[in-house]
Amino acid sequence: MNDEAFTQLVDANYASLYRFALSLARNGADAGDLVQQTFFIWATKGHGLRELSKAKSWLFTTLYREFLRGRRRDSRSSSLEDLPPAERDPVAEDIDRVSRIDAGAVMAALQTVDESFRSPLTLFYIEDMSYQEIADTLDVPIGTVMSRLSRGKAQLRMALERSEAPSSKVLPFPSTKGSRAS
Amino acid sequence: MTNEEAKFILSAFRPNGMDTDNPRFGDALRMAGTDPILGQWLERSRAYDSAVAGKLKQVAPPPSLREAILAGARVSAGPRGGMRRLTWIAGLAAAAALAVTLLTMKEPTRPGSLVPAFASFAIADALRDGHVGHGEPSEALITGLQASGAPMPGAEQIDFDRLKDTGCRTLSFAGRDVIEVCFARDGTLFHLYIARIDPSRADLSTKGPVFIEQAGGAAAVWSDHNLGFALASKAGVEAIRRLF
Repeated sequence: MNDEAFTQLVDANYASLYRFALSLARNGADAGDLVQQTFFIWATKGHGLRELSKAKSWLFTTLYREFLRGRRRDSRSSSLEDLPPAERDPVAEDIDRVSRIDAGAVMAALQTVDESFRSPLTLFYIEDMSYQEIADTLDVPIGTVMSRLSRGKAQLRMALERSEAPSSKVLPFPSTKGSRAS
Repeated sequence: MTNEEAKFILSAFRPNGMDTDNPRFGDALRMAGTDPILGQWLERSRAYDSAVAGKLKQVAPPPSLREAILAGARVSAGPRGGMRRLTWIAGLAAAAALAVTLLTMKEPTRPGSLVPAFASFAIADALRDGHVGHGEPSEALITGLQASGAPMPGAEQIDFDRLKDTGCRTLSFAGRDVIEVCFARDGTLFHLYIARIDPSRADLSTKGPVFIEQAGGAAAVWSDHNLGFALASKAGVEAIRRLF
């Protein structure tokens, strides 16, 4: 892949990859690292991909795998049995609320959603991916994608509701991962 | 199919209507067309999804990210001739694209091919928020760095593995780990990035320091034995020059 093609690939995908990474990593610095690492892997391996039409899917899948690889040490993933039931349906007030608040607050609310739900939800909202594309990207069955979208949306509604409550607090945007400056 | 089952399926229905012809949604959509309650639910749900998607798409990446990707991640590691050439091309292209101004205190002798990219990487990261977390071994290093007039460190002052293993922020540049240590001197915040040099290629080697300035920040890059250093700050190249 020549320089121009690589630049085009970066321009076409880095912003949406960053949003996906930001929802996963929950802070801007780590999100930027994930995106850079993803393109680095592309430069060393992915440029051999014969079908460039699959580059976007490859990038998202690779970023997600890099995220999982990085956090495998210190976290556990939820099994479906652990997942809370879906909450209430959306009402008109939910739509008004989203319209009122700014993009950073919506992202901060998304970052509070359980990770199992957050990944498919982000691909659904930010990338307009179909359930099939989400299933392929995250390597999970279609039924699981549907279940996680349903429950993830409910969690996001609750998080947005909390973010508007006077005494409540959602993660700052962008958040940081420690308590003191190095 | 119950209403709840239809809602479950329609939760995956994209608000832009791209799934309208997907047979998997056919039964649920037909139900929504005949059941007013389910129909209203679908309408609200799509409006809500559109609003959320619209907001999330407004979140912009940091302005420096694109340049950092092109300057750093684009550089391929590897000893093959083609990759070496790509390394040079990418380094030069990054320098041109970023309108990098190279200013040297001492003329570097054949600077390593990754030096401009490493500087851009350091500047881009220094411009971001979220520089947090470090281990105890960095305390002594930070104390030394903060002292007015103290020289910048060389390889002898750095135990790379110990800094990395005990919690310093670790980033990735061109396939290698980079440790970041932040310190303030005379009221100015600086970020020191330390990376190993591949002895077979010496791609970060420079007798430097090489000073590089670009929009929003500046960096100095130098090397000592097996380590490459980049010192970056938002305060500009003159603030960095004063530390050498």
